Amino acid sequence: MDFSFSPDQQLLKNSARAFLDEHMKPATVRLLWDDPRGESDTLWKEMAQLGWLGLSLPEAYGGSALGMVETAVLLEEIGRAACPGPYWPTALAATAIERAGSDAQKKRWLSAVATGDARATIALLDADLDWNPEAMTTRAEKSGSGFTLSGTKQFVPWAHVADVLLVPAKTTDGLTLFLVDPSAAGLTLEPAPVMDLAARLTAVKLEKVAVPADGVLGGPGQAGPLLAELLRRGAVGAAAEMLGAARRCLDMAVEYAKVREQFGQPIGSFQAIRHKCAEMLLEVENSHSAVYYAAWALDAGAEDAALAASVAKAYVGDAARRVCGEAIQVHGGIGFTWEYDLHLYFKRAKALEPLYGDGDYHRELIVRRVAG
Amino acid sequence: MDLNYSAEDREFRDNTRRWLEANVPTQELATLEERKAWHRKLYEAGYVGMLWPREFGGWGASPMQQAIVQDEMARVSAPPPINGLGIGFIGPTIIVHGTDWQKQRYLKKMLTAEEIWCQLYSEPNAGSDLASLRTRAEDQGDHFLVNGQKIWTSSGPISDWGILLARTDSKVAKHKGISCFLLHMRQPGVEVRPLRQITGSSLFSEVFMTNARAEKRDLIGKLNQGWEIAQTTLGWERGANSLGRVTRYAIAFTQLVRAAKELKRGGRPLFDDPVVRAKLGRIYADLEVQRYAGLRVLSALLKSDSPGAASSITKLSYTEFEKRYYELALEILGHRGQLISAREEFEEVDTSSGEPGTWATAFLWSRAGTIYSGSSEIQKNIIGERVLGLPKEVRADRLKA
Repeated sequence: MDFSFSPDQQLLKNSARAFLDEHMKPATVRLLWDDPRGESDTLWKEMAQLGWLGLSLPEAYGGSALGMVETAVLLEEIGRAACPGPYWPTALAATAIERAGSDAQKKRWLSAVATGDARATIALLDADLDWNPEAMTTRAEKSGSGFTLSGTKQFVPWAHVADVLLVPAKTTDGLTLFLVDPSAAGLTLEPAPVMDLAARLTAVKLEKVAVPADGVLGGPGQAGPLLAELLRRGAVGAAAEMLGAARRCLDMAVEYAKVREQFGQPIGSFQAIRHKCAEMLLEVENSHSAVYYAAWALDAGAEDAALAASVAKAYVGDAARRVCGEAIQVHGGIGFTWEYDLHLYFKRAKALEPLYGDGDYHRELIVRRVAG
Repeated sequence: MDLNYSAEDREFRDNTRRWLEANVPTQELATLEERKAWHRKLYEAGYVGMLWPREFGGWGASPMQQAIVQDEMARVSAPPPINGLGIGFIGPTIIVHGTDWQKQRYLKKMLTAEEIWCQLYSEPNAGSDLASLRTRAEDQGDHFLVNGQKIWTSSGPISDWGILLARTDSKVAKHKGISCFLLHMRQPGVEVRPLRQITGSSLFSEVFMTNARAEKRDLIGKLNQGWEIAQTTLGWERGANSLGRVTRYAIAFTQLVRAAKELKRGGRPLFDDPVVRAKLGRIYADLEVQRYAGLRVLSALLKSDSPGAASSITKLSYTEFEKRYYELALEILGHRGQLISAREEFEEVDTSSGEPGTWATAFLWSRAGTIYSGSSEIQKNIIGERVLGLPKEVRADRLKA
């Protein structure tokens, strides 16, 4: 029983922190707000060189074959920096291709992801805002040797920079996952600007989009279990990122409380502020336990892995929102200004909250799992 | 990171489970003698005094093994051993700070529950501000004369000995004039009055000391070193009960789900009501997080990273959770949650300290956790100052000192 990071995991954490502190300062995040792509290609290539993009991919495709714990370590640091970009959607899509893809599909995409030459994303949310894959209305009709897809996918992260979209749709056989070329005829992307200007979400409209036979990922009707697993992994990754944002806000609040003086004393000496900071730390530490327990459970194939993923997403979503919000409260007026950096992390945590299943969705999954 | 139990841990758990299945009392333990007999049986099996060194009669076990025993005992609702405070921190205090004579005289009888121990710290006017205690101990040559009042003393009426903090110098700063003694409770100058708490039972008492006698050989450490001594051993075993406590919560959750499936509103089970389901999901997530956090603390203990001030986070977390938990349960159960005697099996619930009762008992008892062993407010002060490094507050007593 060892809940602490291994020396290698600690090394990864430290180097990710150092790299992002240098290359993704708050000012850099702000510059990307006005960038049409919203991400930095230079940074993406550097992330590839650091081995981040292939972190969990097999060595045969240039990856490091590491697990969800290492991925969570990295995502926590990405969240801490509010680093914009398609890291997690791409890694998640690559996992899907690795799990279900044909040799040809893997050869086409996995090495390209690891080298930073390809970006990808998964369109998990359908026209209505239901995270249950069974509820989707997007349809795929058989057409010749391939399919045509029709429907709408909402709030797809980083679809506008993706080289391939993973799109689930219902066929006569059931839930099926497709590899879709974003430039295919009949496919339109509509950006959905949200309050976190560094979180890029896009509606993907599909009107009879043709997908050839080799664009089916796994067998027709076989996508259900894979989609459930991707939602779980997605949820744990998002929770790790929210944890990073929350810890950044806590650190900023504590530093501020030490130096900001009112009534002739640092405000951190007042119990009203100190107790608030203690409560924030409690939620951050519990979030740490939730994220890394869940990540470990996925790697170990523990019998409570699915439960732990839902617990992590539901708990950390609430906790991160509160911690980031309370950091604004500790700062007072300055924390509410556009110039001060707190809102970068506050908004990032909030943007991640509905992704890969919101709290309500995961709480319902928890009840089904533990109480039938 | 590896959260698997080792092969030895699993084997130890299996053996413990088998032992408990064969030995756990089937009838409620009615008398003190029966409780002592059960305690001795547990001790002889190696399940009491587990962390104590073998040279003092303990078992030199690992925190993991202790946590497993607590967990397995919770699973079968086994009655806890008595002398919890003695074995949890008074004995360790004697081991760390006591004389050889004290170790010889007291430790073994504490382990076997031949002598029961209590803690004489809190006073009516010294709660969170414990260092302001007023009970005096005056040097009379071969002994100290003790006068004062203590409160919130667990096991008071059945105790033979108590660990006492008393003022031995009133001219110095308040925490520098306190000494630590072992006080014989069975003497004319010591009167114990049970204190009935909001649950209706009397787990605590008040202790009045009028010209009571503390022997010189029963002074722990040096004169006026009492505050320091108390600081080193409070929270000695915090964390080792992490698994057992969560298992009790989980057993209660199973009861809550049973209740929600049996009770109806508008002709359908409460369990089918999305509002109830959302509440159940939220609290179960919270419960599981307490378990993960408990494992994390346990893992730190195994590496002998003393959790130090971070143990305040653990205490704050589970006691505040416990209040939310039973509040939510009673919200779902309505009047049924307030019954003080169970009519249905799903109305029977143990408190987090293992006392059997109903939802009402567990709900009422949940108010104790955020007060005892340092209130939530004190824990937050400790976290703020010692973990986050926030500046100390300006306090009237510090200005005077």
